[in-house]
Parts: sequence; C-alpha cells; structure tokens
Amino acid sequence: MAEEEIKRRTRIQDVTRQMRKNKSAMFGLGLLFIIVTLSVGAPLFAPHDPHDVDLDRQLKPGFWSDDGLPGFYLGTDALGRDLLSRLFYGGRVTLSVGFVALGFAVGMGILMGISAGYFGGAVDNVVMRIVDILFAYPALLLALVVAGTLGRGIDKAMLAIGIVYTPQMARVVRGAVLSIKETEYIEAEHAIGSSTWRIIFKHVLPNSLAPIIVYSTLMLATAILDAAALGFLGVGAQAPSPEWGLALSLSRKYLVTGAWWAATFPGIAILLSVISLNLLGDGLRDALDPRLKGGAKL
Amino acid sequence: MKTKLKAIAAVLVLVTLLAGCVGQEKAPETKTIFIFGSSGDAVRLDPADVTDGESIQRMDNIHEGLVEYDGGTTNIRACLATDWNVSDDKKTITFNLRKGVQFHHGFGEVTADDVVFSFARQYDSSNWYYDKGEWAYWGYMYTDIESVEKLDTYKVAIHMRQPNASIMTSLAMFTVCIVSEKAAQQYGEDYFKNPVGTGPFEFVEWVKDDHITLRAFEDYWRDPPQIDELVFKVIPDPSARLMALQAGEVHGIEHVDPKQLDIIKNDPKLQLISQAGMNVGYIALNCGEGYVDANENGKWDSGEEVDVTGAFEPFNDVRVRQAIAHAIDKDAIVRNLYQGAATAANQGMPPVLFGYNNAITGYEYNPQKARDLLTAAGYPDGFEVVLWHMPVSRPYFPVPTEIAEAIQADLAEVGITVELFTEDWGTYLQDTEAGKHAMAMLGWTGDNGDPDNFLNVLYSQDKATVGSAGNIGFKKNPEFQDLLNRALLTYDQDERGALYEQANKLLVDQCSHVFIAHADQNLAFLSTVHGYVIHPTSRKFFYPVWVEEEGGAGLGTLFVALLLVGGIVLRIKRK
Repeated sequence: MAEEEIKRRTRIQDVTRQMRKNKSAMFGLGLLFIIVTLSVGAPLFAPHDPHDVDLDRQLKPGFWSDDGLPGFYLGTDALGRDLLSRLFYGGRVTLSVGFVALGFAVGMGILMGISAGYFGGAVDNVVMRIVDILFAYPALLLALVVAGTLGRGIDKAMLAIGIVYTPQMARVVRGAVLSIKETEYIEAEHAIGSSTWRIIFKHVLPNSLAPIIVYSTLMLATAILDAAALGFLGVGAQAPSPEWGLALSLSRKYLVTGAWWAATFPGIAILLSVISLNLLGDGLRDALDPRLKGGAKL
Repeated sequence: MKTKLKAIAAVLVLVTLLAGCVGQEKAPETKTIFIFGSSGDAVRLDPADVTDGESIQRMDNIHEGLVEYDGGTTNIRACLATDWNVSDDKKTITFNLRKGVQFHHGFGEVTADDVVFSFARQYDSSNWYYDKGEWAYWGYMYTDIESVEKLDTYKVAIHMRQPNASIMTSLAMFTVCIVSEKAAQQYGEDYFKNPVGTGPFEFVEWVKDDHITLRAFEDYWRDPPQIDELVFKVIPDPSARLMALQAGEVHGIEHVDPKQLDIIKNDPKLQLISQAGMNVGYIALNCGEGYVDANENGKWDSGEEVDVTGAFEPFNDVRVRQAIAHAIDKDAIVRNLYQGAATAANQGMPPVLFGYNNAITGYEYNPQKARDLLTAAGYPDGFEVVLWHMPVSRPYFPVPTEIAEAIQADLAEVGITVELFTEDWGTYLQDTEAGKHAMAMLGWTGDNGDPDNFLNVLYSQDKATVGSAGNIGFKKNPEFQDLLNRALLTYDQDERGALYEQANKLLVDQCSHVFIAHADQNLAFLSTVHGYVIHPTSRKFFYPVWVEEEGGAGLGTLFVALLLVGGIVLRIKRK
C-alpha cells in the first residue's frame, strides 16, 4: 500500500487520472469515439449504399412513422438515399476536413510560433505581423475568401480552414515558447553548449505540447463547424458528397414541407461532434494546463 | 403626482391616435397596397437593356409597347399603336399611334419621336443614347429591323431588311417598349434608375436588394389600376417567401418551390395559379463544333472549325448521345423532383407553341438500350465525364443539384461515371457560352411565344459562337438552320408550323441536347387577391389585379395599440 503511494506517476498517468475523474470530459470522449468509429467504419455499419438513388422512395420518414420504409431507420433524403448511411459516410468527409485542416494549422502554427517565439527580433516581428493581418478578418469570412479564390471542392476547403487556424495556433505556440525560453533549464542547455535544434526539439517543443493539445481539440470542433459551414455555403464539399453541411444546406428547403428529418439529422450530427470535442477539450485543459482555466482567448 | 399626470396624458394621446387610426381604416379613400415577393432584385430599369426576369417583371408594369399580348395569350393586340398595316413586300410595317397618351411624371405626350428614339438608340450608332447601353436583346431578336422612321407626329414606319414572320410577337416584348426621350435627356445614363413610361404604374423608389415601389398612374390612358401602390419586395429564399405569404406580409409570390405546392393547395387563405410553362430544361452535350465570330456579323469568320475547350470526344458519336438520352429516367425526375409540376420533354420546345411536333416520342427510358448503344459505339465500359449544374434554382430546373444527382445515378447505371461540377451562376453562364463544359444543364424561358425564339436561339449553328453561344451543344446542322431560315420568311402560320415540326424532328434525331422537362409556372397569392392573369412567358402584369378588403385589420390595430397603452401605463406605474 505504501509502495503504491510512493510510486512515481508519469505525467501521462497523471493526466489520465484527472481525466477519468472528469465526467463531462469522459462523456465527450465516449461520444467522439462513437462518432469516429461509425464514420471510419462506415462501410461496415451503413445499412445501405450512401449513393443509391431511388427517386420513388424520396423523403420517406424513419422509424418514428408508419410511412417509413423498413431498413431505412432515419428515413431518406430528397433523392431517396438512406439518411443514416449518408450520415456515417458524411462523417468521414466532415471529420477528415476537420482533421486535415487542423493538421495543417498545427504544423504551420508550430513552425511559425517557434520561429517567432524562439528567435525573436525581426523574425518575430515579420511572422507575428502576418498573423495579425490574418487575425484581422473573421475566421469564416477569411475561409470563404480563401475557398472562393481557390475554387469549390473539399480539398480547397481543407486548405482554407487550415490557413484560417494557422495564426491562432502560431500565437498559442509562440506564447508557450516565450515562457519556456526564459526557464533555467534552457539557460543550462545554452551553458553546456547544446545546439539550437536540440534545445527546440528536446525541450521547447515537448514542453509546449500541453497548450497545443488543448487548443487543437477545441480548434478541431470549430474546424468541423467551419467545414460544415463551407459545405452549407456551397464552396466546400460538392454534391453528391454526403458531407453534413452540404446535406443540411440542400435539405433545409424541405423543413417547411414537413420532411424535417433530411436536414435535422445532419444538423444533430454536427452538433454532437462539436459538443463532444468541446467537452473533451475542456477536460484536457483542466488536466493538462490548469493555468488556462477560465478561458484564455483563442 | 407628476408621473400620474404624465401617464394620463400619455394614455390620452395614444387613445386619440388610436381613434385616428381606426377612423382612417374605415375611410373610403384607403390606399390599396399590393406587395409581390420576388426572388431577386432588378438589375436595371431600362426595358431595352435588361435580360433577366426580375428586371422585366418591374418594367412590364411601368412601360408599354406599340402592341401587347392579349390577356394570357401570345396573340397581339393594339396598345400604344391603334392599328398598323404591313406592306405587300412584307418589309415595311406602318403604325398609327394612339393620341393623347401621357408619360409618367409629366413628361408629356407620346409622339413618333419617342417611338423612333426607343428603337434607334438600340441599333443606330449615331443616336446620342446608343453608347449608353448594351442592348443585348436587340442582337438576339431584332437585327432584321433596318430602321424606324417618323412619318408624322402620330405615325411611324418600321423598315425590315427581310421579311420576318416573328416580328409582330417580338414587338410585344419589353425590349421595344416606348420610353420618353425627354426623360432620357434629363437623366442620361441614369435613366435606368428613373424609368419613365406610359404604363399603369409609375416609378417611385428603388431600395437596392430590398424593394421597388410603383404607384398607380393617374393619367393612364385606360382606367387607372385598382391598386394604388405596387411594391416588389426581394425575398430570395423560397421558404422565406412562402412564410411571408402565409403571414400576409406579401400578397403574392413567384417561383414556388414544387415541394410547397401541397401546402399552398391545402391552405384556404392561399391560392395557387399554375400554367404549363413556356420553357425547357435540357442537358447540352458538347460536340465541339463551334465557330469564332470576331466581327460579330453572325457568320463564320472562316470555314474552319475551332477548338471548343470542353468538347468531349465520345459525344462525336450520335450513339453515345442517344445512349445518354435513353439512360435518364425523366419521368421519375418529373414525378419526384418537380413534384409532378412539369411535363417530361421529348423535344426542344414546349408543347404550348405552334410547330410542336406531336409525332415525336423522344428517347424512352431504357438502360439496356443505352448500354447496347454504348457498346456499339465502342464504350462497353462507359467513360468518365463531368456534368455541370447551376447553383441556383431556375424556373425550368427548380432543384438543379438534386436533378444532377439523379442523372448521375441514372448514368452510373449504364456504366458512365459522372462527376458533378458547379460554380457561381454568372461565371457558369459565361463558361458555358464559351463551351468549357462537356455536359451542362441549362434551359430557356420563352420571350415571345414564337418557335424561332427556342429553336434558333438554343440549337442553331449560327448561335454556336464560342464565347457568346446560345447553342451550347455546339453541333452544326446546316439542314436545321435552313429550315429555320425558311420558316422566318413564311408568313402562313400552318406552313411555318410544318417547317418547325420538321426542324424539331431533326433536332431530336441529332440528339445534341437531352431534353428533360417543361416546368409548370407556379405563382401563389393570398385568396383575397383577384384578377391576376398568368402569362405563358412568365411576364407579370399587375394592372388587372385587385385586392379584397380585409375586415380584421382595424381590430388588429386596435388590439396592438391597446397592448402598447397597457405596457406604457404599467411601466410608468412601476417607476
């Protein structure tokens, strides 16, 4: 018993323990797990081909109604495609836009943030002014402009959202780097003559991971929302993609005509994934970086 | 004490106001306002310089031409001209103008000078107003007019280069409505913001992207209209338009989404006015036979073929084109995506026109036949192709994205892999005119009720000019062109009709376009609205409209006012 108390916990164990205690974070994680599993395993779980058009079974209701077709649990969309299957496959598109865009933003953000924070001076000035310029525009507007310039399409939407989130990530990383740079262990590294690369990769980067992870999770939520928004506005995913935002946009005209399910379920899917990521992100923030609690501004 | 006095004063003032309101409501000189929910704003308000339905809709209530359509038909009757006669060689038409017709806003009487100005500014480069507009429709439909001449104050003659049997119907179009030369002099280039015509309504104000207000013209040469104010309110979203109508915020709406038809039919407060539309929605298959016409004379610059960017090699084979026609299930599309509010098309113009060939059955839905044709053409495994669809709903394609997806699924059935593409509507039109597409969805709403307005504009080789093509199938067919040219020189309606029937047969056989549907035209009004006559060209004339008085309005106002008074009293008391 005593042994157990003395046993040194690693940082990861520490975080895991904290997370386990946080019910809402665990709920978020569970929800996210389900969403990701269903999306990634769409071919396994989807009861129908998401592109199987049959106009004669268009806009049929799902399990709640007697008019529904057997096997079409959430009903069908305007082209008679199975809504549930399209949600699973749509998750693949929407989530992958979010992840790829986030990957781009994190990569570029780390690059910019570290060069600005660590080297300072002119580099800092140039990089951060670029960041400031990008910051001057509302995120979605900027994404629209970028996507509009590049043209329609899912790949362009990924890039557009990635570009939009780069400055935010750059700022987060720079802030972290600035504080770490001043610590004694970095000074010690300098004293023993370590190379710049060694200092950056061995010490600065690992120690900035906490805020990067926290912000990535929260950013992923907004990136997914933006992916859906671009799809909704017609510059993201293109028909016949089952992307959630696009599905919502194309089906919203049936809301007034009584076929509420065609637009409602894609909306709920977006809502659930954003909520799950936000809950998880909040939990991670509490566990990893208690100082951030109370909400540092993104 | 003071607050109490204030409260009493406030109540007194409000009650007085209220009494005023209620009193006015019952007064006989109530202003009738008619608000129409349009799907978009006008672009310009110069009748000769607009091509879009929204602008035309406003213009048609402000301006009038020498002749006009008779009610809901495309037959011609006298308007600003009282009568006319055609010379023996059919090349001169002489019009007698109606005397005493006044322009709006005190711009005086209509004379031959105004008529000549209204025409000459569109074709005569020496006219002082010529360079102030683009006059697109003149190029489309009026180039056979050589000149318009003033004979005396109330008499004009139109001289033709060659006889053109469709010119009289064309003269009832907005393009050749009569505008005031004096007003044009006063406003110059800004005429399009200050239109002055002779129609039943005169222009009052234009708040961009919000509304355009017109009011009844007191000196109108017929009886003044029965609505005092006509407002065109812009509501782009179809659902929002319907909701505005249900709430009584507007009296009528256009472009009713087919999905909403049942709602309107089942609502006793609303009425639906429908008619077989004079339109066609089609898919053009780019055969690549365009030409360049740098000097814009409507003829090839050289005999050579030019590269049409989007030309798609498999479409050179008529069997491939026919396979596509056989593969698309038009009936299912009409039934489910037009909600039955359309007729499946088997030829390039709607059945409401003369010259429609009833003997044509078109390409029936038959995937097996399509596969056989593809195999015969050397594509047993199909091919990949990009289908362009417009991003906005059009009268002929109410839900273009869904229709494109349905076609994609149909073609997948026969082994053709279709990728969908869309872009901004303005760019879409430009790019299809330039022939950048392989397959593109497009359509047409008739202007004047003449077959020439469909067959010549959309499918003739003369209109396959890369960059400004009307024929975006880019298929040259000299025989087809010859039939159209002959029809224009034939004044006998039956003979003309026979020529167009032949032309329609040729067009269907060459299959450069796959015709999908002729959509019904649907308008919805409050059931208190009467007198509206739907027109096959989708043009909208509000002159005959009148609105039944609503009894409940006074009570409603009273109720709202009482609430207000109550609220104020309560607030003051709390203090």
